[in-house]
Amino acid sequence: MFHMFSITVGGLLNATCGNITELVIAIFALSSNKVAVVKYSLLGSILSNLLLVLGTSLLCGGIANLGVEQKYDRRQGDVNSLMLLLGLLCYLLPVLYKYSAASAALTVDPSLHLSRASSIVMLIAYVVYIIFQLWTHRQLFEAEDEDTDENNGSDEQPVIGLWSAIAWLIGMTVFIALLSEYVVDTIEDASDSWGLSVSFLSLILLPIVGNAAEHAGAIIFAFKNKLDISLGVALGSATQIAMFVVPLCVIVAWIMGIKMDLNFNLLETGSVALAVIVTSFTLQDGTSHYMKGLVLLLCYIVIGACFFVQRTPFNQADVTNVMLKPDTNAVFSA
Amino acid sequence: MEVVENGGVNLKGLSKEMRHGRTAHNMSSSSLRKKSDLALVSKVRSGPLKNVLLNIQEVILGTKLSILFPAIPLAIVAKCYGFARIACYTGPTVGGLLNATCGNATELIVAIFALSQNNIALVKYSLLGSVISNLLLVLGTSLLCGGLVNLRQEQKYDRRQADMNLLMLFLALLCHLLPMLFHYSGVAEGVTTESSLQFSRAASVVMVIAYVAYLVFQLRTHRQLFEAPDENEEGGNNSEESVIGFWSGCAWLVGMAVSIAVLSEYVVQTIEAASNSWGLSVSFLSVILLPIVGNAAEHAGAIIFAFKNKLDISLGISLGSATQISMFVVPLCAIVAWILGIKMDLNFNLLETVSLALAIIITAFTLQDGTSHYMKGLVLFLCYIVIGACFFVQRTPSSEHNESNVSNMKLQSASGVYIA
Repeated sequence: MFHMFSITVGGLLNATCGNITELVIAIFALSSNKVAVVKYSLLGSILSNLLLVLGTSLLCGGIANLGVEQKYDRRQGDVNSLMLLLGLLCYLLPVLYKYSAASAALTVDPSLHLSRASSIVMLIAYVVYIIFQLWTHRQLFEAEDEDTDENNGSDEQPVIGLWSAIAWLIGMTVFIALLSEYVVDTIEDASDSWGLSVSFLSLILLPIVGNAAEHAGAIIFAFKNKLDISLGVALGSATQIAMFVVPLCVIVAWIMGIKMDLNFNLLETGSVALAVIVTSFTLQDGTSHYMKGLVLLLCYIVIGACFFVQRTPFNQADVTNVMLKPDTNAVFSA
Repeated sequence: MEVVENGGVNLKGLSKEMRHGRTAHNMSSSSLRKKSDLALVSKVRSGPLKNVLLNIQEVILGTKLSILFPAIPLAIVAKCYGFARIACYTGPTVGGLLNATCGNATELIVAIFALSQNNIALVKYSLLGSVISNLLLVLGTSLLCGGLVNLRQEQKYDRRQADMNLLMLFLALLCHLLPMLFHYSGVAEGVTTESSLQFSRAASVVMVIAYVAYLVFQLRTHRQLFEAPDENEEGGNNSEESVIGFWSGCAWLVGMAVSIAVLSEYVVQTIEAASNSWGLSVSFLSVILLPIVGNAAEHAGAIIFAFKNKLDISLGISLGSATQISMFVVPLCAIVAWILGIKMDLNFNLLETVSLALAIIITAFTLQDGTSHYMKGLVLFLCYIVIGACFFVQRTPSSEHNESNVSNMKLQSASGVYIA
């Protein structure tokens, strides 16, 4: 597929097909009214793309290319970071909203309306971002040595045609969708028998498995010192989930009459906030080395440890809208 | 006085001295001093680092009686002296690292004393205050003074070193933020304490691993990122013979660190009494006053290098020290507490964690473009004043905490909005 279109479109299609899995899982879970699983698995996918995939790519690429200076175009990273910060704002406000009123029950409806409005805004932003990436500012996203790659690409003849490739992709996606239905149905039983909380399974394990293909691709491109593509895959996937899949799920839930809002609880939102800030800071100077990747990877391990140690409590909290109980130390009492 | 006389005679040359008919003793001593003065003067021209050495050498030679002076100025002089000695052998990177390490050895010793007396709040607050003081106070005053002195010149530094240090600090911030958020997630207190403790211990191991990898990165694989740009100039000084040897310099540093450690033990034991008699909260003493005194030597060194427009070294000292404390000393204390059976976690409470977060974010933003001027330093310094004021006004509630001396300090805001 990379040979047919430019690398940009190829990376975008790669990320999209990877995220279709997440979208399918989310819609199945919504139809079973498991809003917490939806929220946590999507959030976990954002965290895994930003920290795990990006971190291991930079780490492996850095170690493999120790003597070489690794550069990438920072403007692509900047635009993605900006989108992620907008997404972060939309996730933060409902969480803070719950703390700003005298009783949490009062904030449920306004928070829902706020979430739905934010979702529409995020979808608009993502559509414009696609226009920006594929049409008006395409040159920002092209890899620097695009010409040499194109020459190699156009000379080779792909083994299977374009439509065969698309047919394979669709077939694989349908297959994964069927398997995902089983995952959603059995996740609570798995959590009980393995002794891990549902939040840990949804946040950490599920996205690692779901993102395995993108992960492998990003690492391979990093080995070849093509960091622009690795960044495109990892950041593009994170942006797509944060700004497209999550708002889409909120709107689908709206249509289905399910009350899903953008309030991922405090701990998860705090993790995503730090992940976005750390990643933006890491990528802002246009160079890379293995230490950056190691720090991102260790951030992911720390967040994973955080959700690992929280076993029992979140199992009890697995309700439709995970109600945040403000601690008694909050400024306003219930 | 003899130095000044000989300095005047120097310019006229050797033969004049012989004509003045000084005694053999005077001649030998004066010629000895004269030769060294010539050598020292020539060294000054070739490298500003030697200017510091000249000053400090004269201070040490002329003030053997200064041992009777208070320990603190001697410690400052000896540290700068020792650092300068070692730096001219090993280069600014390792020299700066050793300087920061010896400065932080003090903090580590204070922390371990406090831990052994189960005074966990003091440990947490003093280490946090040290990080904030390095990031805002030391860095701010260095940039401010450097900017004011070098008003006309462009001040540049290599931002990649600063980037790496701040990235490590962000990882540390993550490890402090998550246990704090545990307490706000609305579950039972006992469960969160246990989770927070387990998480803190795991995160401490991760942080130590990260710091060791960072040392490998800084000293082995990517050493070139951390060298100061005018390395060649410094290299010329290495061929000269220093007055005292490398091991003497190390011995001085170690000796000074030991004496400071002994003094620190007294500080730890008397801090609560001091807080009562001075009317300041223990948290203010631990977060603001103790680190200012503890970091005085590094502070002076960083300002001196900023005056000479060697911002890379100033940044190396202040940021390196902050990284070392947050990624090495704090997790090491948590692990030592684990071994001792003391329940120390990484939850510095809301106010302290948010201050740390803002300090890191502001410093990251300030240092991201590779240039500096006095206004940057002023803003960082004013941030520190604001944070100091914040802890200053929190008098009574925190001292009530310290009397109870619990492991996890519960948050009580000063205005008393806390509702049991």
